Amino acid sequence: MEDKRLQGLIEEMWPRLKKKHLYPELPIPKIVKASAPAEEEGEGNEGVGLEMKEKQMTLNPAFISSMKDKMTEENLIEALIDHGITHYTFCPWDFQTHLMIYAEAKKVMGDKESAKQATNYFIDVIADTHCVKKRATEIPELHRHLKKRKVDQVIASLYQRIWGIDLGVSFSNSDGKGSEEVVRRLARIPYLDRSRWPESIRKFARSLKPLLVAEQKEKESRGGQGESNPQGEHDLGHYSYEEIDQGLRDYAQKTMGLSEFKEVVEDFSPELKERGYGIEGGMGRGRGAPVDADVLFYMKLSENYSIPLKKVPLEKSGKLHPHSHSPWEIGAPFQDIDIWTSFGKIMPGMTQVWKKKEGKGRGKIEGAPDCLIVIDSSGSMINPRKNLSYAVLGAACATNAYLRNGSKVAVYNFSDAPMGGRDIVDYTENREEIYRVLCRYFGGGTALDLEEIMPLIKGKKELDLFIITDMKITNLETLIGFFGKIKNRITAVHIGENPYAARFEKAVEKRKNINIFKVKKKEDIPHIVLGSIREYFDVTRKTGD
Amino acid sequence: MTQNPFEEFQSFQYRKTSFPLDRIVHTAEAVMDRIRLGYEKLLEEEAKELVWMVQYNTIIKAYEVAEKYIKEIDYSAEDIEDFCFALENTQRIPYLIPGPAGIYISALCNDAREEEIVLKLSELKTEINLIGFRLPKGKRLMVEGDTGDFTGIGIEGGELVVEGNSKNWTGAGMRSGKICVKKNIGLHTGEWMMGGEIHVGGRVRGLGNIVDGKVYEREKLVYPGKARYPNVYY
Repeated sequence: MEDKRLQGLIEEMWPRLKKKHLYPELPIPKIVKASAPAEEEGEGNEGVGLEMKEKQMTLNPAFISSMKDKMTEENLIEALIDHGITHYTFCPWDFQTHLMIYAEAKKVMGDKESAKQATNYFIDVIADTHCVKKRATEIPELHRHLKKRKVDQVIASLYQRIWGIDLGVSFSNSDGKGSEEVVRRLARIPYLDRSRWPESIRKFARSLKPLLVAEQKEKESRGGQGESNPQGEHDLGHYSYEEIDQGLRDYAQKTMGLSEFKEVVEDFSPELKERGYGIEGGMGRGRGAPVDADVLFYMKLSENYSIPLKKVPLEKSGKLHPHSHSPWEIGAPFQDIDIWTSFGKIMPGMTQVWKKKEGKGRGKIEGAPDCLIVIDSSGSMINPRKNLSYAVLGAACATNAYLRNGSKVAVYNFSDAPMGGRDIVDYTENREEIYRVLCRYFGGGTALDLEEIMPLIKGKKELDLFIITDMKITNLETLIGFFGKIKNRITAVHIGENPYAARFEKAVEKRKNINIFKVKKKEDIPHIVLGSIREYFDVTRKTGD
Repeated sequence: MTQNPFEEFQSFQYRKTSFPLDRIVHTAEAVMDRIRLGYEKLLEEEAKELVWMVQYNTIIKAYEVAEKYIKEIDYSAEDIEDFCFALENTQRIPYLIPGPAGIYISALCNDAREEEIVLKLSELKTEINLIGFRLPKGKRLMVEGDTGDFTGIGIEGGELVVEGNSKNWTGAGMRSGKICVKKNIGLHTGEWMMGGEIHVGGRVRGLGNIVDGKVYEREKLVYPGKARYPNVYY
């Protein structure tokens, strides 16, 4: 009953609040009882007032009730909603910004938990300060009445100073001097200047570090039970799958640093796993498996690059036609039933359905063939699990291009293949499986075993080959000879310049089906055009078909 | 007649509100600009070719020039710390020359209105040389992080506390006062020191030619004493 009344109140206020914040695309906040009741939070602590999960704000009626003597319900709800909306409209704005702020905080704080705490405080200070400056809000009133621990007192004192509003905070003589000094330092940070957030969070964390470390120790002494933030915690729950995907992609692109990405992803690993980010399963999501940060890094980074793929005329007409029979099962579609061979009966065991196959015609339907990626992971190549490897990034981009076009990809990752230094994945559409083999590093000698490659090529009429190496291959001449015999489209990418690459270029320069690209920096990757053979543009060949 | 679609907003008066945070940040930026300008002028005068040799005369002269420029600035201890970090930001300050930078920071500390200055420099990638130069009596400078060569040279009665390590020639030529290095210290410690005390929480790599004063290693007096000799590496 009470919850309904509060929900009604929110519904009444929502149009005005939306207008105030220039119509953010957020659903109407809901009144939902928090999972941890306020009584469990400890005496005098109001518990969590606001939670935000995937853009849905929920207000805790117990918190509102506990504050009723201090603030009117309308003002309290307005303050909480203002705070929640500002997180969406200003800070952190998106998941990538959240990760960036956290990564900078971690550099100062050293440990994960304190860095998360510093990030949360920083995000809250920015959101509330922005709101107080730009909108008429009851946030100061809320801060005046919230119960304050040591850090909260310092933050409230900071608000007093930077907002110019008295929140009734004063320090006792014992720790006043130290706290005043911290506040003085914190007040100099340009919170509302988004471009300076990376340096601002470092300064913020540096100034607040002794207090946060003390708070962390206190929390540990209570067996990890800390008091919750009444304005809500800032975890991954705020973001949708798509926002997390996009955030990881942007963060990988922005940092371009494997170690930095890896550190952040590993710190958020439990939350990412909870959100379904394993490496098994589709799109990098799944349950149970650990998050492989290296694979995720290349996966997200490669999504920022798009390599064009020239399609080839395939013989398939693209249409399905009935090919053979199979038994019908309950739940299978009726439209494929062959009534003639089923004797007009719908009965499992008797009824038969047509199995359809893609037809082959003489049409010039363009399509992308499957692709075999041959990647060099010898000692002369960069270890993709330690530094950004352009070879793996290039191969990852090629993988994406082929998979996007509905083709399958096989990987032959080699170092000293005749001695067993190789890993193979057969033609598959499973992106994670492909990436895991691409990221494998042997770091030994460089020799191909063509006998192992042959089974991957044989029986495939249309197949593209993509080889990425520094060309310092012991049996380079064998490879050149092999390429001279096959007619498949070959995209050869060599990393850096060396005499071996020059030798390869010279040897295959007359082969029209081989295109060579050089990658010296990451910006070279989008210039690779997969399967862009000169022959394909040959008009005579086209008309000849 | 065409009607102005914004007619109804004519009576609206835009109220420009002053927000304390903006004021504080603006003031801090203005002070930082002046500090930065002073440093650039010091470089122009003392390190024209961007080369600066640490010699007695060059140090004295650079310090005098630094004093001249900072005298006109009203700054606080936090501004000094911000300047230390700005030195690493090449967009803000194009040249970080450790010698003049250290002299300039020392002059800023010595001339600051606060008696106790805390510089949280743990995340600074560069170790600043010459920090604490001529720290006067009554001043206490605390540095969180490591310091470079010539830390606390010529201290004049002040107290310098380094929470991390400090490099070679620490306390050289100091006359009185105290240097506390919580971790380790480099070679030539206390070279030509005339008085005062150096306390080292970790190891003293090597002592210099000390004229007078005391050096303690992990609370144990190592100079004067027979246990340690000048210019010997330990």
